[in-house]
Amino acid sequence: MRHAFEIDATPHEVWLGRESGEYILHLDNERLPVSLSLDDQGHGSLRIDGETVPITLARRGDDCFIHLDGSTWQLRYRDPLERASALAHGSHDDDIRAPMPGTTISVRVAPGDAVLKGATLLVMESMKLETAIIAPRDAVVVSVRVAVGQAFERDALLVEFDERPAAQPTATPT
Amino acid sequence: MTPWPFDTVLIANRGEIALRILRSVQAQGLRAVVVHHALDRLSPAVAQADQAIELRGNSPVAAYLDGDAILDAALASGAGAIHPGYGFLSENAAFARKVQAAGIRFIGPTPEAINLMGDKVRARAFVAQAGFPVAPSAIEDDDPSSFSERALQVGFPLLIKPAAGGGGKGMRIVRQSEQLAGEIERARSEAQRYFGDARLYVERYIENPRHIEVQVLGDDTGQVVHLFERECSVQRRFQKIVEESPSPALDAATRDRICSVAAGIARRAGYRNAGTVEFIFGQGEFYFLEMNTRLQVEHPVTEQITGIDLVREQLRIAAGEPLGYTQDDVRVSGHAIEYRIYAEDPARGYTPTTGPVLSLRVPGGEGIRVDLGIVQGQDISAAFDPMLAKLIVSGRDRQQALERADAALAQFVLLGCRTNIDFLRRLSRHPVFVAGDIHTGFLDAHPEVAADVSPSPATLRRLLGAAALQTRPLRDAAEAIPALHAAIGGWRN
Repeated sequence: MRHAFEIDATPHEVWLGRESGEYILHLDNERLPVSLSLDDQGHGSLRIDGETVPITLARRGDDCFIHLDGSTWQLRYRDPLERASALAHGSHDDDIRAPMPGTTISVRVAPGDAVLKGATLLVMESMKLETAIIAPRDAVVVSVRVAVGQAFERDALLVEFDERPAAQPTATPT
Repeated sequence: MTPWPFDTVLIANRGEIALRILRSVQAQGLRAVVVHHALDRLSPAVAQADQAIELRGNSPVAAYLDGDAILDAALASGAGAIHPGYGFLSENAAFARKVQAAGIRFIGPTPEAINLMGDKVRARAFVAQAGFPVAPSAIEDDDPSSFSERALQVGFPLLIKPAAGGGGKGMRIVRQSEQLAGEIERARSEAQRYFGDARLYVERYIENPRHIEVQVLGDDTGQVVHLFERECSVQRRFQKIVEESPSPALDAATRDRICSVAAGIARRAGYRNAGTVEFIFGQGEFYFLEMNTRLQVEHPVTEQITGIDLVREQLRIAAGEPLGYTQDDVRVSGHAIEYRIYAEDPARGYTPTTGPVLSLRVPGGEGIRVDLGIVQGQDISAAFDPMLAKLIVSGRDRQQALERADAALAQFVLLGCRTNIDFLRRLSRHPVFVAGDIHTGFLDAHPEVAADVSPSPATLRRLLGAAALQTRPLRDAAEAIPALHAAIGGWRN
């Protein structure tokens, strides 16, 4: 089972191994010795495939923030089990998340409501503009996680849908 | 130097500008008092203040808008003057009046000047009456029966705007006279729908205009000087992101004219303290847009090329000192560019971002100035304006400033909250920007500047290698492998 990091929602699969006391990065068709040396501020150097480059790195939860060669990147670790489950159940669109930080202006649905794709779930305000949060698919609302007037950050869970029906009906176990 | 008529200055602002004002206040040997909301308790301005007073409010922004609480803090701390910074209460004439009534000096213009320039229609009429250039226009209210006829005389292309409007809503560009009647009708219906007020006005439309503004200073004796121009044409959502001086668009004669007009407007308004006269510039013509009666975000570019500390000048003027120099004494040398560092995601419509500042390292060196309002460890919240810092670079000419900017932006590290730093670097390297060929629609015309960039294969390898080594499950898996190797006897992939 492979691990993966997402950069701007694009997944990249990796595997880390260890041989003769050093770590080996396994990519699609490459195996590269890799080592990292950081001070307590996250500044240091990365040695990979015989080259050494300066790097700054900071972690928070599943996110890894990296400053490298004058650019900043954010890599989000995707747990292999969660990925497998997401691929099987399409759980990506079970969670309706905030596209940007903001405040809830109105909530149009309640737990148990059946909604059609395109229905307005709630209206939020950000940068003095109102934005409607729209149902990405037909679903039943499991929970609404924000109340009117509540402020939230980007990516905050707003509304939870029921699990997407499996693509193929499974046989009822007997 | 004459002794100051006050020994304590209260700074009624936050973020980078609170710290920037504080530095100049303390450099004069004056005490700096900073008011702040609890969210800003760890900010550098609070840490360096001689006294910090916490404000309470229904929201963090409301705390900084609570004029009465700020006035109480000034009285309690013995402040003889209040510096409002920019935003918040800086252009609030009622607040300025209250401050004066309490026997405290407001570091800014008179309440009358704030009022005059705060009303855009009145300011425009004042400037036009004084004989300075405003865009040719026709206002329906002046004489509704002749409106269409007067609109035709404005010339094309023209812009129809709702009299009660704002934010670009209900505006229509008309390029040919035969379209005018129909567009007026449609604009009227939109204005009624959006604003409940169908009155219109039309104004000559400048294609691809540039935004050029002029810094002015006036003292109590009526003396006014200008400190030359700033060009602020790179904008997103009608907000500036990069400003520079001198403007690459002006020749010496035009520069002289636009700066003289700005000083003339300020003189005519009896303007005191620091202010900025904004113009739109295109096809060789410039027109008065508005006057900002406060210190501007982008004031450092002027400081870098004139060598004048604008906050110090504001303090001196508020203390009643005359400027002590004339227009001929104001000299510029070199070139300065300011880049605004925002917590925002350019690839997603410049929406604000939030997060903790996990790692922060600012560039330094010759020609590099960073006005910073954040510290490592603090949370960037959506409660305030998303501007985090300003990078100001200067050099002997624009090319050297651009080279220094590129290096400084590459060295600027802020991890934990997405920022526009990489975007600013792409913008600063863009051939059109490098050529100085910019206008206010530049970013709309070049959406690729704001788009996400995919890592190159070499960069991707490095990113994945570093992230893998810092991710526990991957390391755990790696540690488990040697045992497996041993078990199956020297197996190689």
